[in-house]
Amino acid sequence: MASETTEAGKMANRAVAAQRPNGSTQGKICQFKLVLLGESAVGKSSLVLRFVKGQFHEYQESTIGAAFLTQTICLDDTTVKFEIWDTAGQERYHSLAPMYYRGAQAAIVVYDITNQDTFGRAKTWVKELQRQASPTIVIALAGNKQDLANKRMVEFEEAQTYADENGLLFMETSAKTAMNVNDIFLAIEV
Amino acid sequence: MAKSTYSKVDEYGFQRPENFNYEIKGIPSDRRTAVWMHVSGAEVLKHSSSFSYSQLKNKINNQDIIETIQIDLPRTFPDNIYFTSHDQLPTMLYNVLAVFGHQNKEVGYCQGLNYIAGLLLLATKDEEASFWLLKTLVEKTLPQYYIVTMTGLLTDLDVLDELVQKYEPVIYRHIHNIGMPWAMGTTKWFICLFSEVLPTETVFRIWDCLFYEGSKIIFRVAIALIRLHKQEILQTSELGELITCFRDMRNHETVINCHQFMRVSLIV
Repeated sequence: MASETTEAGKMANRAVAAQRPNGSTQGKICQFKLVLLGESAVGKSSLVLRFVKGQFHEYQESTIGAAFLTQTICLDDTTVKFEIWDTAGQERYHSLAPMYYRGAQAAIVVYDITNQDTFGRAKTWVKELQRQASPTIVIALAGNKQDLANKRMVEFEEAQTYADENGLLFMETSAKTAMNVNDIFLAIEV
Repeated sequence: MAKSTYSKVDEYGFQRPENFNYEIKGIPSDRRTAVWMHVSGAEVLKHSSSFSYSQLKNKINNQDIIETIQIDLPRTFPDNIYFTSHDQLPTMLYNVLAVFGHQNKEVGYCQGLNYIAGLLLLATKDEEASFWLLKTLVEKTLPQYYIVTMTGLLTDLDVLDELVQKYEPVIYRHIHNIGMPWAMGTTKWFICLFSEVLPTETVFRIWDCLFYEGSKIIFRVAIALIRLHKQEILQTSELGELITCFRDMRNHETVINCHQFMRVSLIV
């Protein structure tokens, strides 16, 4: 399984970069619009904070409405500017979500591996995206809080099977240890 | 604006001008609880209510509401020393939110209320007063903001749209050309009543007016913020830049200087 440290994350970046087709994209700048969806307190903001600033806060403030962050990464000769919408998780804010996923090229749907309900909610998000978002949207499923695997309630295989059946990218992640965080953001961009 | 009910003589013995507006200068912090309770109607609500706060506190039993609130407790002002270094404040916050959520089933617990109740507690240091003030805000001042459909919020976002069109047509056209829904830039302004959006001292000054004259101060502040950033807004050319401009409005010099900011807001 994947890297646990930021250094390993950087290596993963290089690995992703190596997979990129070269030639036509040289010196190109692309914008990449991405949205994070999922139940409250599964770690959406923490994943973004880890990816954008390399930081982790044990107690991340609850997001109201949505937060907007950017991150620019160079892959080969291409500069990719991630425009990330980090949405509020509480069901009540659901009606505001379409304005964030409309026009998004990718979505990361997050659940908490220690909480079965959040996996159910992730499936609901996936269904909604498949029906309502752009038909070309790339969806990744992130089983976050992998550092708490000893309290696991959602089996890796169960999520992997679901992801395979629905054509989703899938990784278990940990915003706390940085495991697979860069990898999942970069994997959906490739 | 409604007529002031305060003394015509200020604390230094000078006659106040005829059109003096107490809120412009802000309420002294040691008087805030009493003044907010009085001018908002929370005091009357408390005394006319058929149940007491402590009675309500004994009825907390809905596990869903309890769990949802507990998740947000350590995530409310995690950098504030009063919330991190004292056990008392998170417990008080829990009580206020849980009691509120149980006595108002339509709202229950809505994320955002944690920041409002948190700031109420920091301002008043009084759990019971914070509850009655929260109840007054949510049920009287901002009806239907926090219910499941958020109808009140959506309506007020439309009102803001019309106000900007009327008072700042150039900014209005620019924002519409870029295609930013108001909900993207300003949901938090309305839901958190500027807590977690503007500097705390400025937020309390806004709340002084909010408790006194009701929700129109939110629109005044919103228009003032947008006006103060006219150049910056018009210089943006795409959605990301525009959103970033809205997000960074808290850092404007005038916004930090709460006296000046309130003057600007009350001209609107």
